[in-house]
Amino acid sequence: MKKMIATIALGTVIVVGLFASQSSEPTELAGELEPSIFSVETPSYFF
Amino acid sequence: MVEIGSFIKLQRTKKEMTQGELAKGIVSLSYLSKIENKKTDASPEIIQLLCTRLGIQLKDGFDASIQEKCKQWYNMLFEVNDKEEIITTYNELQEIMDTNLTDSLLMFEIHKIRYYLILGKLDKALVKINELNEMADSFDNLHKYYWYKFRGNYNSASGFFSQAMQLYKLAEEKSNRIDIEVKEIADLQYTIAITHSKLRNTLEVIEYAEKALDIYMKEYNFFRCAQSHIVLGISYRRIKMYEKAIKNYNLARHLGELNKDKQIIQLTNLNLGYLSSAKGDSKDAIHYYLQVVDDPEVEQNARLTSLTALIKEYYSINEIERTKEMIKKGFELIGTKDVEKHKVHYYVLNTYSYAINEQNNQFEKIVINELIPYLTNHKDYANIVVYANMLGNHFEELGKYKESVKYYKLANLTYEELVNL
Repeated sequence: MKKMIATIALGTVIVVGLFASQSSEPTELAGELEPSIFSVETPSYFF
Repeated sequence: MVEIGSFIKLQRTKKEMTQGELAKGIVSLSYLSKIENKKTDASPEIIQLLCTRLGIQLKDGFDASIQEKCKQWYNMLFEVNDKEEIITTYNELQEIMDTNLTDSLLMFEIHKIRYYLILGKLDKALVKINELNEMADSFDNLHKYYWYKFRGNYNSASGFFSQAMQLYKLAEEKSNRIDIEVKEIADLQYTIAITHSKLRNTLEVIEYAEKALDIYMKEYNFFRCAQSHIVLGISYRRIKMYEKAIKNYNLARHLGELNKDKQIIQLTNLNLGYLSSAKGDSKDAIHYYLQVVDDPEVEQNARLTSLTALIKEYYSINEIERTKEMIKKGFELIGTKDVEKHKVHYYVLNTYSYAINEQNNQFEKIVINELIPYLTNHKDYANIVVYANMLGNHFEELGKYKESVKYYKLANLTYEELVNL
């Protein structure tokens, strides 16, 4: 099993690495998340 | 003036009256049909009789105050506003619309799409879209602008970003022919930037986010400034301009801290985590991800995204105990009620759980029957490659070479598709 995990993990790392260089990661699952299109606040003034 | 035929049709449908019931004793059924479909102009007397039967008053000089109240409500249609207040104002407006013939009616109906989306009622938004679709031909340019934009919003909320983009582009085209407020222009530009980001059109994201940012800075809307910096950070990270990405993330975090906005701060941490991971710095990635996961104030989707990213990170460095711990946390976070809402995260948690616990059948079942079809449906090519590759490895380990080749092949073909995007 350990071998399998190591193989999968290595495979995942290689693929993820490959994507990093190709700039094509998905946003839904990859851990990169855009802000919502529905959220906005009224203008805020800090001064 | 509102198109009278559309108005009568709308009110009749709402009151669940048949054409026969409304027409009886006033006009023939075929004549009512012509009025509703704008094939004839009925006399004021007939209109008056039909409106009376529908329980609608025809008042003059009332429109300005209705318009003002509508405008207030339209401005409330954002996630951060109080839902109860949005609903109360909606009910008040609905009462006015039900009993008065007003110019604001069609615009009010179109804004209901957005209203349902803000309340998270996607099914109701779709019903409204279908209902309005029948009368879309009578919309003027301003109506059409919002019609396209909110239908785009519906597609965005449903995860269909290509369709959403097509609709936003139609809205953008209409925006050039109408007089709309600068903050509305910025909102559309920001929305287009986010949608391009979902579609990974990196250069377009930068173009639109910069345009929106320019307006938001002048408007002192620092919340949206921060959000624009985040999406710019994501884009610069994708083209490996790490310094610029970090600069944008730091600006977003700074604005988030000034505004004491936890969501902005943690969304920045989440994306900084991903940037670190892409650079191969697992330690930093885990540090950022943990800040998001351990913060109960953070919105659930951001926490789950961070959690699944953390699982992948721990798994990739063979930290199996930590991976298990995070899987457990993920299941607790989703609970039993939100499985449907966070389906994809649920699949991922199960995938890693089955893989670690050597539950081969379940692992194969969930990846082949659930996860890959879901990702295919959402055109999430990168993750198809990741999980097809995982399956290939899995079958290879079991000596099932035919199956193994099948999934390695899927991974390769999908990868080719991905680089051609």
